[in-house]
Parts: sequence; structure tokens; C-alpha cells
Amino acid sequence: MNDMTPTREQRSAALEGMGCKRKRVEDIRFTQGKGNYVDDVKLPGMLHGDFVRSPHPHARVKRIDDSEALKVPGVLAVITAETLKTVNLAWMPTLAGDVQMVLADGKVLFQNQEVAFVVATDRYAADDGINKVIVEYEPLAPLVDPFKSMDKDAPVLREDLAGKTSGAHGPRKHHNHIFEWTVGDKELTDAAFKKAEVTIKEMISYHRTHPSPLETCQCVCSFDKIKGELTIYGTFQAPHVIRTVVSLIAKLPEQKIHVIAPDIGGGFGNKVGAYPGYICAAVASIVTGKPVKWVEDRIENLTATSFARDYHMTTEIAATKEGKVTGLRVHVLADHGAFDACADPSKWPAGFFNIVTGSYDFPTAHLAVDGVYTNKAPGGVAYRCSFRVTEAAYCIERAMDILAQKLNMDPAELRLKNFIKPEQFPYHSALGWEYDSGDYHTAMRKMMETTGYAALRKEQADKRAAFARGETREIMGLGVSFFTEIVGAGPSKNCDILGIAMFDSCEIRLHPTGAGIARMGTKSQGQGHETTWAQIIATEIGIPADNIMVEEGNTDTAPYGLGTYGSRSTPVAGAAIAMAARKIKAKAQMIAAYRLEVHEDDLEFDIDGFRVKGLPEKFMSMKDICWAAYNSVPPGMEPGLEAVSYYDPPNMTYPFGAYLCVMDIDVDTGVYNVRRFYALDDCGTRINPMIIEGQVHGGLTEAFAIAMGQEIRYDEVGNVVTGSFMDFFMPTAVETPHWETDFTVTPSPHHPIGAKGVGESPNVGGVPAFSNAVNDAFSFLGSTHIQMPHDFWRNWKAAKQLGAVA
Amino acid sequence: MQMNDSQRIPASREQVWAALNDPAVLKQCIPGCQSLDVTAPNEMTATVVFKVGPVKATFSGKVTLSDLDPPNAYRISGEGSGGVAGFAKGGALVRLESQGADVTVLHYDVDAQIGGKLAQLGARLINSTATKLAGEFFKSFADVVSAKAEAG
Repeated sequence: MNDMTPTREQRSAALEGMGCKRKRVEDIRFTQGKGNYVDDVKLPGMLHGDFVRSPHPHARVKRIDDSEALKVPGVLAVITAETLKTVNLAWMPTLAGDVQMVLADGKVLFQNQEVAFVVATDRYAADDGINKVIVEYEPLAPLVDPFKSMDKDAPVLREDLAGKTSGAHGPRKHHNHIFEWTVGDKELTDAAFKKAEVTIKEMISYHRTHPSPLETCQCVCSFDKIKGELTIYGTFQAPHVIRTVVSLIAKLPEQKIHVIAPDIGGGFGNKVGAYPGYICAAVASIVTGKPVKWVEDRIENLTATSFARDYHMTTEIAATKEGKVTGLRVHVLADHGAFDACADPSKWPAGFFNIVTGSYDFPTAHLAVDGVYTNKAPGGVAYRCSFRVTEAAYCIERAMDILAQKLNMDPAELRLKNFIKPEQFPYHSALGWEYDSGDYHTAMRKMMETTGYAALRKEQADKRAAFARGETREIMGLGVSFFTEIVGAGPSKNCDILGIAMFDSCEIRLHPTGAGIARMGTKSQGQGHETTWAQIIATEIGIPADNIMVEEGNTDTAPYGLGTYGSRSTPVAGAAIAMAARKIKAKAQMIAAYRLEVHEDDLEFDIDGFRVKGLPEKFMSMKDICWAAYNSVPPGMEPGLEAVSYYDPPNMTYPFGAYLCVMDIDVDTGVYNVRRFYALDDCGTRINPMIIEGQVHGGLTEAFAIAMGQEIRYDEVGNVVTGSFMDFFMPTAVETPHWETDFTVTPSPHHPIGAKGVGESPNVGGVPAFSNAVNDAFSFLGSTHIQMPHDFWRNWKAAKQLGAVA
Repeated sequence: MQMNDSQRIPASREQVWAALNDPAVLKQCIPGCQSLDVTAPNEMTATVVFKVGPVKATFSGKVTLSDLDPPNAYRISGEGSGGVAGFAKGGALVRLESQGADVTVLHYDVDAQIGGKLAQLGARLINSTATKLAGEFFKSFADVVSAKAEAG
């Protein structure tokens, strides 16, 4: 070898494979304003549609008069439920097994519900048309409080369900009841509570909020009458699912539907569902024969397309005097709004909320969830979390703090005492999950050592004493949170959407010059898939990541996949990439063996090619193998080098982490200062540490928003009063604290590359850390639980109620 | 939303009562009132331009006088629709208290409700706006009535 021969380290670095802080390739276009979003799609003759929406939360629609609207210059059509009935599309199925009005059919059930769709030559004309549509309403009593949904005299919201005593998830107890879902051993749990030395009980609410991506939901539908083909450009986190749904409900052959999701400006769960806008734009295009664009404005996005959370969780823990937990009992009242349009896998009406035992070894647990209707927007999407996992993590992490307070124990110590031990993995939880791997004690201790936890507690004690002496008006809180997520939905044995198993897919095709393309069933909304997917291939096959183009979002070219949400891309599609790559590698090995004239068993893979064992000089690079694949394959072998993998995961993955929030609150103003936030994440094998750090920063910022103020609030008569960014808290760089990130690595034993997923962990773990910090700050004044969100006003109110402010 | 206040008017109770039942006076005093037409005894239709924060809309609707107790009290109520801007409805219980021959104190007790975009965008402004509008109405009402009393 001469001096120019690269070392193994140099060859490995040149691949920019797994573990490399590779810069995001998609940012080359994003940072130059050259992304291509749905609103950038401009087709010849394109029309624009916009909605007439209901000002009432609950009313009968007596009459819709579009005659004046049709006189507005540029207005071409006004579509109502009556129009949609002619094509049997006035209602559509939801992902949760319910049905939802596309346009108001006789009644409106939430404020800003879609009533009519005005189609015009431009958006301005459409808006002028909307102003001229006369809708006559007969207001009905609104039902806003979910705790009153099942009152005897509660108004009937869903007249279409009259007489239906069961729904998609079993029996209904009341006309506003959707489902009851129970898991766990009730008898055993009740018995544990009976003999418990210590118990706590608290109603912990996780308020309604909204994913609020900066790019709202939108689409362009273009129907080609001659070919009978419908092309839909849309902000879809799951393009293939949209294609199948459209085919099923519009009765169009699936091969004639082309769904294209171009660049997406954030999704966070908001862009999983199917919305009336998509249906109306498609119908309008079929009716007019022209492309029709629909773009939500901010108010519409916040008030009409999928909210998140709205879980009211009555939580009880049984424990010994020493602080060993012996039982968990949770009842959830789930406010689903007017239609059950929750985006969960079919068999999971409350998502994976049964991860609520968290990171702790509960010998027994019981969970019951009641879903109810109210006069609010439908939804219940997983806002930067796996299905209902952030609700579960918040529930258990608040409850553990409340238990610690009752036992007068340090909350970190209580957690260490109850963690599932490393040797217990794979661990079977009392509510039915099999946790793949974890080392909670190591993560927690690393957090405590790095942050100087003991010293912070000492400082807090000193500060409390100073507060009592009247020397300061500031109180200090330490928010400990230790979460276990459940992501990577999921195994076909228990996860499907509309009957389609939740696998995911990858197709890799290598070109003669040592380059290639990977097409995916996933769809990035900012996660950086174009960067990270290529890194997995680089390490697996030995082709530099820069030579791999990643393509997502076109259902004509991509293999069928279930899309990107619930931190499923790396656990499921990431595995599919590795499996497809390994198929290619196996064929490459045969080609190399043939060319090097040895038996393939005599070859070993070495970074970027195959080497004959014991003969280091006999080496064939992957680049050369790619060329050979197209001209000199072994006799009887097909040329080419490509593979597809559809990966059905054997289990979920269970990322975890230890977070600490240090917060000071001025009792006289309620103003808080997040002095420090430390986040240790264990997401198994780390593909790109820079992207992980970015994911953690983003997730923590959203967690901060939710815990400290972000809320979709209704007044007592059903008006949404947080319908714009003036009232809906969207943190900017000004409000956002500094984040400290850290990690441990506990690979997933069943995932081909050991990766677990990270995009949503910081939101799941972050919310309880913030809320626990606020609650911890106030606890010495006598409070046990203060509901989120903890904005300045509510903090001040808490201080006042606790007597800290005159 | 609820509010109550009172306004001292330098006029007799009968003069105030008469003005309270005079559509021309009401039209003059309701902030933003474009038209007010009597359609039946104690019933009127009105068009009012209403602005809360960023939302401005023309509301048309019905105004009704009820619980009439001349010359002591009545209830004035109205509801109107502002199209895409939403709707508003509400009323005021108005009570007159004589404080001598030429002075009357007008007490008002208002409850109002808004819905639609007005409520979504204007929630944080609605109380202050309503207080301001009610104040404006009763202030100009007092001015008009006292001018009439002086002239009369």
C-alpha cells in the first residue's frame, strides 16, 4: 500500500454513515427558499376553494341560500351537503371507525364546522362569495363540558347515531358516549388498593391543544376527465393511506389516483387525518373539470383540523410506606369533540395509553377510558407523540411526584426505587406491553450527577427558607421526569389502519456508477429523512451517503407505506432500509465472489466493499460491484442491484429518557424563568447525532409551549377563544429556554440496527418536566396538583389561592 | 358577559322614559347604528356596524322592547347576525330612578353574548369593547335627553 491509500477510518468517514453528524441535504433548498410546498403548486386554470363555516357550536341548519354568492364575479360553484349527497360524499369515514360530516348535513356540531365550499377563480373571489352565502341557523344548546356529556338531560349531539347502542369499539352507554376501553386486572388492582399502606388520588387534566404546524393543511386536486385520473398534491404525512381512503370513499380505482406529498412544513400529527377540505377540493375538481386548490388559514387550522389531547385522567397509586408502588388505577374521560376522528391504529381507541405504568414496575394496574362527544372540533391526533403516549407519560409522571410529596420522599429517589431493573427486560407490563430494552437507573443517575441534582435540592431548601423569612418573592421548582415511550407502530398482529397492517417499506436501486436511489413509504415533514436514510444505506452497503438520493411522497413511485407519525419512521422504515440494503449486500457478495474467483463464504464485508478473508489485497469495492452488476454477473444471475423490503416489526420500540427542569417563579407576577433544562435521551442506536439534537430541541420547544400556555380553549357557550397566534401560545426564540442535551445508548434488541426513534420523546418527557417544576415550586405552600397550562396568570392565581399573594 | 352601571341624566323621569321609547333617539345613540326601523309596536329592525379588535362587520337584526313598566323600567334586547363575522345577542334591563323633578338616574344591567369570528379573535377585547360601547350609548343618550329637556 502506498501513502495515498486511505485508512479504514478515512474510508469509513467518507461514507458519512451512521453516527456521523452529516449536514442535512434538504437544507440546501430550504435555506435558499427553494422548497416546493403545496402552495407552490400552480396548475393551469387552477381554481380556489374556501369554506363557509358555522359561527355556532350547535345549531340546526335551516336554509342555505347561495344565489347572491353565485353572482359574485369569479365565483363558479357553491358546494353544500346536498351537492355531496349526489356523489354519496356528504359524510366520510374517520380513522377511528366513526363517520364525520364533510359539509353540514342538517346540523352543525362545532364552531367553524364546514358548511359550504365556495369555488372561484381566485381566493379573493372565493372569500367574497363566502360573505354572500346566507345560512339560516336555529341555535341549539351547546355541550362544552365533557363531564356533562353523559348527564341524563345532556343535549343529543349525534342524531345520526340515534338508537345505536354500540359503536366501532363496543357498547355505548349514553347518546353522547363513544366507547369504553378497559385494560388490566380490575380485581387484583382493587385488592392492591384495599391493602395499600399509602394511596394517592388526583384528577390530572391534559388540556386540549393543537399541533399547529407553520404550514397549514392544504391540497390541490386535479381530475383528468379523459383519463379518469385524480391527482392530489397535499400536505400528507401518510400519502398511501390517503390514496386508499380516497379510492374507497370516492369509488375511484386506486391505480387512477396519484397522491403526491411535496415538501411539508411541519406536521406533528396534524397532517395524518383526512379532512373535508380534501374531499371538497376533489369533488370540486371533478365537477368543474379544473384543478382546485384549498389552503387553510391559521384560524381554520387551529379551530377545525385535528386538535390533540383533551384527556381528563383520574389517577390513583397504591404504595407501601417505604415508597414501593403496588398498584395503579386510572380512569380517563376523553373529549373527542363532535366526531371521533382520533388518529389511532384501528384496535386502539385510546391509542397506546396503556403505557401509563411508565418506567415503573407496577405489579398490577387497571385502566378505563370513556370517550365522549362534545360540541368541539373533532380530532385527537398524536401531537408529536406516539398515540396518546404523551398523555400517559404526563399522567404517571405527575402522579409519581404527587406520591413522592405524600411520602415526603425525593421524587428522583422514588423513581429509582420503582424503576424496572435492567435484568427484567424484556419486561411485560401489567397493562400488556413487552418493553424491549432499557437501563433506567444508569440514565437517571447520569442526569442527577450531570445536573448536580443534590446541590439544586439544597439550593431550593435554602430559597424556601428565605421565602418564609420574607427575604425573596421567588420560588424555585425542580421538575423531574423519567419517561418511557412506545413507538414504531407497529406489529401487524395488533396494529392496522383501515385494515392495512402498519408495516413500512423501502426500495433501493443502485446504479452502475456506485450511486443509487431509495424510495420510501414514509414522508418527512422536517425530520431530515433525505439525510438519515442515506446514512443507514451508506453504513449497510458501503456507498457514500452523498451518492444516495432519497425520494418520498409520490405514491406512484414509492412502495406502499403507512407514513410518518408516532416516531415510527426509524423503528419501522429504518428497519426496512436495513433489510433492503442487506438483500442488496447479499447479491453484491455473490457478484464479488464471482469476480474475485473465490467462494462467497470466503469474503467478509469491510466498510465499502468485500475482502477475501486472510488476503487483504484481494478486495472489490461496492462501487466496482455496482458496475459489475450491470455487465458481468455470475452465470444464471439476473443483472441489476435492487431490492425492496416491507418490514413488519416484531415489537414496538421503547425509547426513554431522564429530564430535569429548573424553574424560578415570581409569586407576585406569576412570571417564570426556566433557568435550566437538561434532557437525556436514550433512543438506542444513534443515526445522526446532529439531527437527534435538532429533534430534541424542537420537541422540547413544543413541550414548553404546551406546558406553559398553549391551549385550545372554549368559552362556556362553545366559542373557541384561542383561534389565532395572538391567543394561542407559539414560542419564538425570545421565550424559548436554552436546552442541554445528553444521551445513553441502549440498542433495541429486535431492530436490525438497534434504533428506537427520537422525534417525539422530548415532547413526551418534556411536558411533565415543566409541569412538575411548577408543581414542585408551589408544593411547599400546600398544593398537590395545579392543572396545566402554567401561564403567568395561572401561576399568579395559584400563588394567590395558596396565600402567597395578598 | 355581564356589566352594570348607572348614568345621571338632568331630565325628568317622564322625559327620559319618552326618549327611551323614541326610535329616533335610540338610532342617534346606538354606536354604529346605520338604520333603525319600527316594524311593530315595541319591535324594530336595526343595522349596526360593530368593531371588535381586528373584526369589523355590519350586523342586521331585531330589537325588541319588553317587560314595559312605564315610566319605570323595560328590557331592551336584540340579536343580530354579522355573516362570517359571527353573531351577537344580548339585552339590557333599564330602570329609572327619580331624584327630584329634573334629575333621573338610569340604571342598566347588560348581558351580552357573541359568537363566531368575533369571539375567536376578540375574546380578550370583548369586555372592554362592550363596556366602552355601553358607556358611549348611555352617555350620548344622557346628552340627547338633557338637550331635549333644556329645549323643551
